[in-house]
Amino acid sequence: MMDDRQDLVLQVNGTRRRVTAEGSDTLLTVLRDQLGLTGAKRGCNQGVCGSCTVEVDGWPVRGCLSLASACEGHEVVTIEGTGRDPVMAVLQRQFVERGAVQCGFCTTGMLISARRLLADEPRPDAEAVQAALSGNICRCTGYRKIVDAVLAAAEELAR
Amino acid sequence: MTGPRLVRPDTLAAALAVLADEPEARCLAGGATLVAMMNAGLAEPTVLVALDGIPDLRGITVAGDGRVRIGAMTRHRETASDARLAGGHAVVRQAASVIANAVVRNMGTMGGSIAFSDPAADYPPALVAADAEIELAALAGTRRLAARDFFVDWYTTAIEPGEMVTAIHLPPAGPQPSLYRKHARTSGDFAIASLALVLDGDGARVAVGACGPVPLRLDTAEQALAGRLRDPGAIAEAAALLVEASDPVDDVRGSADYRRRLIPRLLQAAISELLDTREAA
Amino acid sequence: MTDPTGIAVGLSIPKFENQEKVLGEARYIADLQRANVLHAAILGSPHPHARIVGYDVSRALAAPGVVAVLTGDDVSDGRMGAFIKDEHALAKGKVLYVGEPVAAVAAETEAQARAACRLIDIEYQELPAVLSPEEGLAPDAPILHEHLADYVKVFDAGSSGNVASRTHFDEGDIDAAWDQCDVIVEGEYTTQAQAHVAIEPCGALAEYEAGGRITLWSANQSVFRVQANVCESLGLPMTKLRCLTPRVGGGFGNKMEAHIQPIVVALALKCRRNVRLILTREEDFEIVRARHPFKIRMKTGAKQDGTLVAREIEVLLDCGAFADDSPGVLGYSLLMSPGPYRIPHRRAKGQLVYTNKLRFGAFRGFGQPQVSFAGEQQIDEIAGRLGLDPIDIRRRNMLAPGEPWFVGQQVASNGLAACIDAVETASGWRDRPKVTRQGKKRRALGMSVTAHISGLLGTGAIVRVLEDGTVVLNTGATDIGQGSDTVLTQICAEALQLPVDKVSVASPDTDGSPYNWGTTASRVTYTAGRAVVGAARAVEAKLKQHASEMLECGIGDLELRPGGSVGIVGVPGAEVSFAAISGRAHWAVGGPIVGEHTLVFDQMTHDPKRAVAIGLPFARIGVFSFGAVVVEVEIDDVTGKVRVVEAWSAADVGRAINPQLVEVQLEGAFVQGMGLALFEEMVWDGARLANPSLMDYKVPTSRDAPYAIHSIIVEAPEPDGPFGAKGAGEIGINVVPSAIANAIAAATGHRHHALPLTSERVLDGLIQAEAAA
Repeated sequence: MMDDRQDLVLQVNGTRRRVTAEGSDTLLTVLRDQLGLTGAKRGCNQGVCGSCTVEVDGWPVRGCLSLASACEGHEVVTIEGTGRDPVMAVLQRQFVERGAVQCGFCTTGMLISARRLLADEPRPDAEAVQAALSGNICRCTGYRKIVDAVLAAAEELAR
Repeated sequence: MTGPRLVRPDTLAAALAVLADEPEARCLAGGATLVAMMNAGLAEPTVLVALDGIPDLRGITVAGDGRVRIGAMTRHRETASDARLAGGHAVVRQAASVIANAVVRNMGTMGGSIAFSDPAADYPPALVAADAEIELAALAGTRRLAARDFFVDWYTTAIEPGEMVTAIHLPPAGPQPSLYRKHARTSGDFAIASLALVLDGDGARVAVGACGPVPLRLDTAEQALAGRLRDPGAIAEAAALLVEASDPVDDVRGSADYRRRLIPRLLQAAISELLDTREAA
Repeated sequence: MTDPTGIAVGLSIPKFENQEKVLGEARYIADLQRANVLHAAILGSPHPHARIVGYDVSRALAAPGVVAVLTGDDVSDGRMGAFIKDEHALAKGKVLYVGEPVAAVAAETEAQARAACRLIDIEYQELPAVLSPEEGLAPDAPILHEHLADYVKVFDAGSSGNVASRTHFDEGDIDAAWDQCDVIVEGEYTTQAQAHVAIEPCGALAEYEAGGRITLWSANQSVFRVQANVCESLGLPMTKLRCLTPRVGGGFGNKMEAHIQPIVVALALKCRRNVRLILTREEDFEIVRARHPFKIRMKTGAKQDGTLVAREIEVLLDCGAFADDSPGVLGYSLLMSPGPYRIPHRRAKGQLVYTNKLRFGAFRGFGQPQVSFAGEQQIDEIAGRLGLDPIDIRRRNMLAPGEPWFVGQQVASNGLAACIDAVETASGWRDRPKVTRQGKKRRALGMSVTAHISGLLGTGAIVRVLEDGTVVLNTGATDIGQGSDTVLTQICAEALQLPVDKVSVASPDTDGSPYNWGTTASRVTYTAGRAVVGAARAVEAKLKQHASEMLECGIGDLELRPGGSVGIVGVPGAEVSFAAISGRAHWAVGGPIVGEHTLVFDQMTHDPKRAVAIGLPFARIGVFSFGAVVVEVEIDDVTGKVRVVEAWSAADVGRAINPQLVEVQLEGAFVQGMGLALFEEMVWDGARLANPSLMDYKVPTSRDAPYAIHSIIVEAPEPDGPFGAKGAGEIGINVVPSAIANAIAAATGHRHHALPLTSERVLDGLIQAEAAA
């Protein structure tokens, strides 16, 4: 059987990146192992825990359930690519300051989801935040301070 | 492990040609289920046909007469946020809104979901209660199938080799309300039991989910309810018929016995809720 | 114990590593990249109980990319184990649970390693399996550990047959006491196995250093326990292994003792190359550890006025295949089982039985959530029978400051009363109906109280003044995300009156860190914090010695000044900076200033004049924190589903070094306890774990957890705690299952005896209670 690794060109964090992937390689694998973008984590590889959440074409998706080859032609953004976004900067600072970060393994995925929420709903209430983040599991914080950090970010951005 | 070859057609015809040519080819819709299975070593497809590049498969259109066409590649997020799915169609929108979580709803599609026919999934009972029709296409032509004939068994549909789901059609909705009620352990989990209810004339259409290999809908139960929606005896009678026809299993989410006990309770609660909604309107 | 001045202790400063975590720059074990690294894979046993007859690894060795294959024959006979040394690095001679590591492969890629595992042929002779503690106790039961008598045990465990350990405490005259009781409540309870589900799965990376020494990185809760376990099981002198820690993605007990570290080190030694293994989520469920299922029989008696007279408990613990921390869980849960009450007559006994399942081990609460499920319900039941309010009966009986704990340890600081007051007030307990109904939903309040011990075993700290007067602190305590690095820094800064940005903390390193038993048992703030204060005081003494010479005054005339200087009391201008002192020390007189302090908690837990204690796994444990919770639950009458609407959780932590971090502990513990209470359950299908996946094993999401969790900090300073601090990590979980069960009993009239309180069970209870009414 011929070698199934193929060259792909992915648009990641605004840059064209060349990678070599097996047909079954997920976006998460390629981001972490070939592009050194380890901010997205592998917590379950089944799409449940949410620690692999990245953005494709502006929408948060599971990196572990996206085939790398299927991502050609789409825009991938990871936490490392949000450095110039003032909304993300506010979210990150609120997370840091309000105790929303403990072990941190869920954090990058949580931030990607939270940023999308604020784009869709600039002044969410606590219930809306809880609903938007229900695909990102946190085992450490009990979620209270995460929700408060998102609410505080929303309030700060609204000013 | 050698991985699948990914084909990326940009027309439906091209996709159907691949499915005709390569019998082992599988469709890649959202990937939420298929890639999870690949990661777990439960699926090793050799050829995948990516559907996300085919415009014909996307989007929800509502015709002048109220009929709805939902493209197979419509993401759950889109279905869940489409305010046009109201009245008798709300059941489908509500089902979309309780699938998994916001992130998975950005990926998963109606066509992909129903093609998998998970007995505990949310669309099947909702579509069955909504009298949906599933449109299937192959190189040889297109056909439609009632939803209740589409879901055949555990993880088994009526899709023939070379066919794929292209759209889901809903008949015009009545003005009366509908709902999808899901009971699960946690937010986003698969249902322990679910109930799709559409008020129709002086009766209702009912489909029970997660209590058997396919959504459960019984004409005899609906006949018992016709004209008697406020009669607890009639509801109990309908429920008993549904319970008898159900075929639930014991699994980590709940026992078969519990599921049977839930059916009458979910039915009574759903009918009460919809009658209240109808009255308030 | 001194009061803090406000320079560091008591501030809710953000943890130092938060910034790197939100940027995605934190490096966990799976993020570490190394050149020339081999990937490992493990072959697990297909049988729960079998002799290993023979191995054929020839096909695996010949597979592409394979560099080494190891079986039990290739590792030493050494055995590791926290209390009973019963476990090899790889199964030797027999296998004891489905999934137990039997062989391991190192190859150039992960896929190659896994493929090669499938080519290893092992011949087994199956043996009958023991799948429950009761089966293990049967007279003709198959014996799992045939050489149990020869295993090294760190305490007198009473091991025999399949009984790994037994414990028995007796205080007063329990057999005679029942006649004094006006009301007696008796019941049997069962609790389930809970998985830790830290979001980061376990993993390890062994670096082969030139000269044959190994540097081992791993997801851990103690680099020292990793070192000990690896060296004991591989027969290595500890000098040959250096253990380090990357960032750790949660633990809760899962990462405290060894997981696959010995295997990864053994492969690295064999291959003389770096070797890496990251467990899948499924493997993390199947081969690491979980919370003990308990079978509990409890009886509590009281007088008509609600005064508690007697409590008796007997427990049967499922140990799983290896003892791990289990003897500790047995002993500790029994020690804590009477609850924070004054009860003159008490008996607590139990057995720990080996079974052919995954080992059970440390998990936040360490047996208390389980025994509290029984004990705090029985208090409510007695209150109900006597027409007393649940809070009133607890107030009547609660341990008062100065009163000793069960079997005799003195309790120095005790803020239980304040905890109860706090949740009573905050929840409006007195002013609101305990049960309300609205349509098809009903709501009720429930409460529960607890104590938890923090302390335990050895700790050290080294504080060093750098040339520029800033300070580096080294304890070896692993920060698993709970914030110990930050808290210990705050303690050190406070002790030396420095701002926190002038203190840095070294990462744990078995080469250079003084020793910390582990990040577990709610112990780091209290125990390592004490060591940090001691080391800082030693540094202070040296600083003052220098300063007295530099300022030409007596040492007694000197004070530490905020910001890093030493000055003469009452003379504002007379001072020298830490930098000046350190320069003098480095270059002129005395040598670099280093302070150290090590300690082992030294108060005896058992007073033989008060009580009998047999099989007490540790003679000296720690100091007592206290907690109380009120929960409001809502029950859906249609389905039986329970959700927590609101919770008020108070904890006496002595002193909150960092209040925000204490709150997060209470909130996180609450939600984890809620999962234990309502829906988490590891399910076995025969000998095989049926739900080793997050699809099937559900933990609370943000939508399941109540937003309205109110954490309340109470401070009853512990005299020898660092600035009065005690532990906070576990106190918030113990109370949750019992408080929820009490609320459900209030709402439905049905008392539940089994966890989890699934919607199915609650609906059953609702229907039964309605039928009985």
